[in-house]
Amino acid sequence: MIISKLNLNKALQILNESAQVFVPAFEVIEDRAAKKSIREKKFLPYREDLEVELEGPNTVKPPKDILFPNVEKLYQYKAAGEDSYIRETLPEETPKILFGIRPCDMRSIKSMDKVFFTKNYVDSYYARRREYVTIVAIGCTETDRTCFCDSMGIDPNTAPGADVMMNRIEGEEAYLLHAQTEKGEALLKNLESLEGPSENVKAIRTDCTLKIRKIPDLDRKLAEMFEHPIWDKVTKGCIGCGTCTFVCPTCYCFDIDNENYGTEGCKYRCWDSCMFSDYTRMAGGANPRPTKKERLRNRYMHKLSYFNERYGETLCVGCGRCIANCPSHLDISEFIEKSSAVDPKAEVYTESIRAAQGKEA
Amino acid sequence: MVIGHTCTCDQNPLLPALCRVIDVKQETPDVQTYTIQTLDGKKPFSPLPGQLAMVSLLGVGEAMFSITAQGEDYIQSSIKRTGMLTDAFHEMQPGQEIGIRGPYGNHFPIEDLKGKDILFIGGGIGIAPVRSLIRYCLEHRADYGHLDILYGARSRKDICFKEDCLENWPKEPDTSVYITTDVPSDDWDGHVGFVPSYIEEVGFRPEGKKVVLCGPPIMIKLGAASLLKLGFAKEDVITTLELRMKCGIGKCGRCNIGSKFVCLDGPVFTLAELDELPDEK
Repeated sequence: MIISKLNLNKALQILNESAQVFVPAFEVIEDRAAKKSIREKKFLPYREDLEVELEGPNTVKPPKDILFPNVEKLYQYKAAGEDSYIRETLPEETPKILFGIRPCDMRSIKSMDKVFFTKNYVDSYYARRREYVTIVAIGCTETDRTCFCDSMGIDPNTAPGADVMMNRIEGEEAYLLHAQTEKGEALLKNLESLEGPSENVKAIRTDCTLKIRKIPDLDRKLAEMFEHPIWDKVTKGCIGCGTCTFVCPTCYCFDIDNENYGTEGCKYRCWDSCMFSDYTRMAGGANPRPTKKERLRNRYMHKLSYFNERYGETLCVGCGRCIANCPSHLDISEFIEKSSAVDPKAEVYTESIRAAQGKEA
Repeated sequence: MVIGHTCTCDQNPLLPALCRVIDVKQETPDVQTYTIQTLDGKKPFSPLPGQLAMVSLLGVGEAMFSITAQGEDYIQSSIKRTGMLTDAFHEMQPGQEIGIRGPYGNHFPIEDLKGKDILFIGGGIGIAPVRSLIRYCLEHRADYGHLDILYGARSRKDICFKEDCLENWPKEPDTSVYITTDVPSDDWDGHVGFVPSYIEEVGFRPEGKKVVLCGPPIMIKLGAASLLKLGFAKEDVITTLELRMKCGIGKCGRCNIGSKFVCLDGPVFTLAELDELPDEK
């Protein structure tokens, strides 16, 4: 199906009648301290007056919070003797459409599906939201300086698993849409009235800006490099702020806590970060990952090695958000290149010589 | 190890069932055992030896504990006072409503242990998970060989499950019980010394024997060294790990060691399995 750019707003309006549509759009935020306003691109509930931008750079934050909110109620309770209760609070059954997500973000949703749907337990909250979401993915027409998805095995022009795939047509102000699932077919049926002529059209193809050299079996190599001095180097500069986990489309770790109002309250879960020291700290104070080095190593290993071992795929999709947003300029793509290139044995050897020389001096 | 939980996937795995503490027993100055039942007087679930339960004090918090015993209509957990949440647990009176979800994790390899002699070693509150297996073996006595139970506590008053350790278990047929305390006291005429050196002192023979070793990390480390010195193979020494947990279903992320999650793939591991994991324990 072909839809002209001119009809895009109409398409979103039609879709918004039967579901809540989320689109990448600009929001203006007043920075009162700097006395200026900032334009930030994010997934917002569709309104007619929104400044929607499907193409251009990706959103600052990934759309993961629509499936896995920052804070989510698990159940309500009352702790009052005989009157005590625990009441499940599953998310509402509201159909949602995620319109215009990028191939990297689609791949991360597929990774989250593996986490929340497999390995013996299905997460009821995620499952409910996921069931009610229809995803329209769009192939990238331009990429950021920090985009390296194709080095991580993702094609920026296709999004397997999305219900509808959408690509810009070469030389025309229009998009080519095709359904990839039954949900997608049903969605496109709603837009039939807007269909444009489709003769000899060709979708635009884009390539990633940042090319990195990653060896195919980096996951196994890193498993052998747990004690390697590269971890001391890569941690330098990390301030443990957790921004990387906040903007990461595949970071799914969460905390569970409660909020009380008298004897009543609710149990909620919220995003957590493996970069924080209390993430693994136990009662009594023992901490298996006591310093930034262990924590950053765990994060990178989880993305590039542990997840492969458990779920058969890498957990970094190369979206580049952690690189673009790190206040200390830590760069996971640089780490991937360096660890791919390093000769584990030689490096340990030179490091230990240097350490020995240092002691002598 | 096999994952042996009894999950029914159409249920919400993060939702606790409201239960009631029907008995509180002061085991030592800082350990209490809670007997837990559903509100209608039933057993919350039937765990296998070594499995875990997420125990929730509504309005305060929840944490993962081993299940030390079970009966027809109850489960029991023994909890040591170590922090904010366990302080609150120790204020509980019989009749207190709590939330329970589980059982979580794998379990002691009850099938592999069949026909073998078993040496149980517990240190401090580490005897709690071991006790679930001791009780299981005693209930299925014909399936298992000679049972040795070695338990170390700080002093006489810190011995958990005094009735079992000092009276019941020594009377069981084909069972030897060795109790030691770290420090001597007037009311203790038994062995004094640390668990690792007592293991060597007794000089257990490795032939046909499996070991279950639970306790504080330092005791596991030194106890394992003593066992290896006596000729035990790493495959035959089974232990349990404990890390901070939130979800109990291998999803919240924090209890990983390498690609394994202690709440789901553990808590039971052999020393040989631990050797395969990164050193973050």
